[in-house]
Amino acid sequence: MIEYRDIYKAFDAPVLTGVSLTVPEGETLAIVGPSGTGKSVLLKTTIGLIVPDRGDVVIDGESVFCGRTGALQEIRQKAGYVFQNAALFDSFNVYENVALGIQEHEARRLGQREVARRVWHALEDVNLDPLAVLPKLPAELSGGMRKRVGLARAIVGRPQILLYDEPVTGLDPVNAASVERLIETIADKTRVTSIIVTHDIEGALSICDRIGLLEGGKLRFIGTPQEFRRSTEPLVRAFADRQAAALTAMRSERGAHRRRRTELTSTGRPS
Amino acid sequence: MASVAHVLTGPLRAFGRVGESVARHAGDMALLAWRSMVATFRGQVAFRDFINQAFAMGVQSLPLVLVTAILSGIVTSQQGGYQFTGSIPLYILGSVVTNGVVLELGPVMTAIVFIGRVGARITAELGTMQVSEQIDAIYSLGRDPVRMLAAPRILAGMLAMPALVGLANGVGAMAGMVAARSTIGLGYESFLYGARLYWHSYDLFYSLMKAEVFGFIIPLISVHMGLLTRGGAEGVGRATTASVVFMIIAILVADAMFPPLFLN
Repeated sequence: MIEYRDIYKAFDAPVLTGVSLTVPEGETLAIVGPSGTGKSVLLKTTIGLIVPDRGDVVIDGESVFCGRTGALQEIRQKAGYVFQNAALFDSFNVYENVALGIQEHEARRLGQREVARRVWHALEDVNLDPLAVLPKLPAELSGGMRKRVGLARAIVGRPQILLYDEPVTGLDPVNAASVERLIETIADKTRVTSIIVTHDIEGALSICDRIGLLEGGKLRFIGTPQEFRRSTEPLVRAFADRQAAALTAMRSERGAHRRRRTELTSTGRPS
Repeated sequence: MASVAHVLTGPLRAFGRVGESVARHAGDMALLAWRSMVATFRGQVAFRDFINQAFAMGVQSLPLVLVTAILSGIVTSQQGGYQFTGSIPLYILGSVVTNGVVLELGPVMTAIVFIGRVGARITAELGTMQVSEQIDAIYSLGRDPVRMLAAPRILAGMLAMPALVGLANGVGAMAGMVAARSTIGLGYESFLYGARLYWHSYDLFYSLMKAEVFGFIIPLISVHMGLLTRGGAEGVGRATTASVVFMIIAILVADAMFPPLFLN
């Protein structure tokens, strides 16, 4: 279980102003909200990548910031983090990147053959062909493939907690849907506790057990996807409407672009 | 009245801000150095990373270091020759060139090349890793960036720099000797006679001691500045520029402290 207790964080301006939240074991929680409201900051506090000005995070009874020496390291070892841009190491190939997800002492215990087997399976779990991608450098992969490798690195150590920071941002709709299905499959298969920070409200609603809306540094709503859809809270409705309008605008722009391209192809000149 | 006080205390406040910043950087770097040392003595530094860094810093810097050393030797020899001709016995030039290169030009010019070629690269590399969340990724994987990134670079710098300075000293002095013969007609025997006349073996030790200190300072500052980087590509550019400036100042200050500490 993950407990956020009254988290405050300010950089130049306040970002989080008293966020409290409990995520039970095995739950998939999505956190949505406008840009700059501190979703990623909250996610990073989970494993101590950002230290809050006030408050604490407690994971399975162990404090992240006020705990005993070595507790943070243990917490990090049982969590997998999927970064927004995958954050793969440029000078390492895919095998080395994914293998880093297995702790050093664990890798020594397992031996090279078992580490290689786990890396192979992790890549298969994220629908990548291990034989094709293992020797490649991150620069040789597409954005979608990089995200999958980042996901493989996060799951290869068999974590109890998975943290996703904007897992579908920057992906085309097909790849985004595929990554969302992957997150759902991993959560179902491993019963891992997952927290997903995302802008993609529709995708989040389709895969999460609960959804939270973070706005103005506070958690304004928390409930099931059904409760979110039915909610009459002005902030929730306003956010959902903004997202829907943005999605419609993007789709119509894409449609217009596609039509222009079709016309251009058929006439051979711009109309 | 308040504005007068504000104007009068302005320089004091600016001095305080600079002092605070310097103290903070110094504290962070001392901690970084300590943690790198602990990781090294505990045998937690990956040998492969250390070798890769030592190769990149040492072998790949060699051509530029040698060109700089040759030119330093030639210029010292030519200027010395110009000043000595008709006033001082020319064989003294052997001592001037050799000591000039070994005591000062070899270590300092090599350090300047090292800053441009290695220090700037390290800051840009680690800065890019910082802004693309790769450093966060290292933490999230339960690993330590000091062990993975800082310690191998600092160790490699401390190995590569004395080797480069040793070579630069030898090549610079020889280039000076050849230049002395071709410009003022000073024979090799006279040049070597002059060089031997005022030579102390301690001078070479002093030169390599400088190199060791510079080889520690440059990677330490560059790693520290890289890990402090914030704010995308622009931030990487800013951090790299600041890092180069800090490294040059640090090297010149350290160089100025060497004679009173070790040559008296």
